[in-house]
Amino acid sequence: MAAFLVNATGVALMAAIVWWFWLSDSGKSTAKNEEHHH
Amino acid sequence: MGEAPVLRTALSISGASCQGCAKKIRNALEPLAGSTELVEVNLEAQTVALPEGVDVAEAARIVTETGYPAEAIAEPGAESGSCCALKKTTSCCSSKAQEEIYKPYEPAAEAASATEVPADGDAVVLAVTGATCASCVNSIEKALMSVPGVTHAHMNLADNTATASGDADPQALINAVESAGYGARVIEDPDAADDRKQEEDKKQYKVLLVKMAISLGLGLGLMIWGMGFGSMMVTGANQLTWINLGILTLGVMVATGGHFYTGAWKAFKHHNANMDTLIALGTGTAWLYSMVVASVPEALPEMARHVYFEASAMIIGLINLGQALELRAKGKTSEAVRRLLDLRAKTARVIRDGQEQDIPVEEVQKGDRIRVRPGEKLPVDGVIAEGSTRIDESMLTGEPMPVSKGEGNEVSAGTLNTHGSIIYEATRVGSETALAQIIKLVKKAQGSKPAIGRLADKISSVFVPSVMLIAVVSALVWYNVGPEPAVVHMMVAATTVLIIACPCALGLATPMSVMVGVGKAAEYGALIRQGDALQTAGKIDLVILDKTGTITQGHPAVTRVHAVDGDEKRLLALAAGLEQHSEHPLAEAILARAKEDEVSVEAVTGFEALNGKGVQGEFNGETVRLGNRRWLEAEGLPVDALEDSAQTITQEAGTPLFLALGQQVLGVIGVADAIKPDSEAAIRRLHDAGIKVMMVTGDVDATANAIAAKAGIDDYRAEVLPEDKAEVVSEMRGKGYTVAMVGDGINDAPALAAADVGFAIGTGTDVAIESASITLMRGSLHGVPDAIEISRATVKNIHQNLFGAFVYNSLGIPVAAGLLYPVWGILMSPILAGAAMSLSSVTVVTNANRLRLFKTSHTPAHSSEKQEEN
Repeated sequence: MAAFLVNATGVALMAAIVWWFWLSDSGKSTAKNEEHHH
Repeated sequence: MGEAPVLRTALSISGASCQGCAKKIRNALEPLAGSTELVEVNLEAQTVALPEGVDVAEAARIVTETGYPAEAIAEPGAESGSCCALKKTTSCCSSKAQEEIYKPYEPAAEAASATEVPADGDAVVLAVTGATCASCVNSIEKALMSVPGVTHAHMNLADNTATASGDADPQALINAVESAGYGARVIEDPDAADDRKQEEDKKQYKVLLVKMAISLGLGLGLMIWGMGFGSMMVTGANQLTWINLGILTLGVMVATGGHFYTGAWKAFKHHNANMDTLIALGTGTAWLYSMVVASVPEALPEMARHVYFEASAMIIGLINLGQALELRAKGKTSEAVRRLLDLRAKTARVIRDGQEQDIPVEEVQKGDRIRVRPGEKLPVDGVIAEGSTRIDESMLTGEPMPVSKGEGNEVSAGTLNTHGSIIYEATRVGSETALAQIIKLVKKAQGSKPAIGRLADKISSVFVPSVMLIAVVSALVWYNVGPEPAVVHMMVAATTVLIIACPCALGLATPMSVMVGVGKAAEYGALIRQGDALQTAGKIDLVILDKTGTITQGHPAVTRVHAVDGDEKRLLALAAGLEQHSEHPLAEAILARAKEDEVSVEAVTGFEALNGKGVQGEFNGETVRLGNRRWLEAEGLPVDALEDSAQTITQEAGTPLFLALGQQVLGVIGVADAIKPDSEAAIRRLHDAGIKVMMVTGDVDATANAIAAKAGIDDYRAEVLPEDKAEVVSEMRGKGYTVAMVGDGINDAPALAAADVGFAIGTGTDVAIESASITLMRGSLHGVPDAIEISRATVKNIHQNLFGAFVYNSLGIPVAAGLLYPVWGILMSPILAGAAMSLSSVTVVTNANRLRLFKTSHTPAHSSEKQEEN
């Protein structure tokens, strides 16, 4: 059970990182901004 | 016409760095140019070429609105009715008219709000606090770009300033930067800002050291206590002590590293991640885990009841130490600018209403008469009205010998009056002085980012979130397949990965070196306008030189005097006696030489100039003639005895003038636009650096050949009209060369703009040359190899820094994740990771500082030939 919880938390954490920094609306818009800038 | 329209470089742009930007510009200009095919965007040179006849001002406006600040580059003949357009020559244009033509595009005042073209003056410069790494640079630039009206934003980590171009409200810019998690204020008076920054840095340095002492003190104390008196393992006996120590650690973490946590939180809110994020997560994880162990040890296996409070405290201490050292080293890199700032005089002795009074330099007005005594600095630019002196301009131009100046000569602020007392009239004051412009140029260039730096920024923007993923993955791997105590290993690996991977070294690698490199170049009298020029200059493999004024002095001078009887002084005395009645440039050259050799000029009467032959007069009842060979021979005066000398003069691209008194030929004087004394040596240096040297000139082939042979030039193009020089440059670029064009900033502007790197040869006061990417303040060609050598050294330094930063991260992260554990059983401690991270930034900054010691193969101090020149 503990192993499952730890692994599930880890996977959820990774998904959250990807979503927050790359996929969310703000993340997308800042990425766009950056593309525009560079 | 049926032919493809001719494209001419029409706009100078900034901020376009990729093919996407080029495409955007092409599309935006399509309606104006007729087709995207007819819009050529040169990303390297940051220029746009358009078909002739296109409204350049309108094009500049469109490109600026697209997000790339643009300025029109006008060309000779661009104005209908201009004499240049009619006669296809620039010599007919007065330099003032040309300055008008080359004036950068400035929108009319009434149209300014609608067609804002962000010139330097329109950009808002912010002093930013709290930025520590490449990710911060990205966050700040993004935040600024999100403000309506901002067309271009640029953050310089080396001096912690951000520049936003466009018409945005400064307060909105400050708010944007603050909401991204950083501090910002507008720099209104750059001079005061420098002093203020210096003060702030000093204070910040002390604060960081105190914070470092507190956190390292606690960390070390805990470590010693844990190892010496107790144990880092939580037991029933020491549980309460550890809980109390945990709370104490939290207090110290907040007090000494609070800025990391607030910075991380603000960045997180904006979907950003930076160095603060990694430190906050790393130390936070270690503390949280330890607190869980201390509070509920029974929830974990016995082997996993280890606390890491000391790691959290020590990591923060080490990073504070690293930042303090970095701050100190950063201060040194901007020394070049500080030295320039120190050149400014604080007061001026102004003569008003016949009274001399000392007033602050800011109050000096144009037209004021200023007295400067020996040993004093000149407060503003001006023209000498009374007196003569020698002025030490080395601080501005790198020229080591003081220059003689008399009435009518221009003098510059910041230079030193070494000799006599003079009165001069102020012509440029405040921010208009050459010194102020040099400071502005150097600062701007120091803050600019070459292409290589933009690449590093791009990488680091995705770097931090990627590191967070790696940390989670390594934690899971340790948990699932690692040895016991798996929970401890998992926590240690994740914390260490987060701490070691900070991209601060990556963020500092380029700007630090650029800052030192640009400053170093300024020391040698080479003003670099952009970081890109600094990068490209190192790749130059062909230097194209303009002849007149670049290789040569630009005005005729006596190169040889050969008297049949060896009495050269008498020869000069007679020639000068004749020529003092003439206003021909050749006469000026002979008179100048006579004055230089302190020859007393003979009294020649009955002067007569004979067109196409020479001049003649009477001396002691005899006819004295000075002229060409054909004329003298026609007069029955054979010049065969001087054949060798005459030939040598001709071979040196000079004109031989024979002097005869009565029926006796006395000698020959060679007059030529002489090669500068150090041109040959400078060209040799270019060859030594593996660079091919070519000359373009409007002269006839014979003269060009003679100059090329004497100066050691590989190849030349003769009879090239000024406006065709740009085509020679383009042709050579087409052959695959990275071309540098060296010429004067006005006549050669199109060629300078067409080259990969344009070098404008100016004098100390001539710094506002817009068309060149590098301006040489010394009139010497040595500036070209100097700039190239400095560029190569700087680029090498950047490569070393980037290589170091990449290697550090690419080795550090796997080691931190525990890759060495299966083979050698090594798992890195988070404390060691903190130390390594700090060390990596300090190493980068120290390596950049090494550039300050760089010396070119020819330092101004060694240029003894200049003494002869003066």
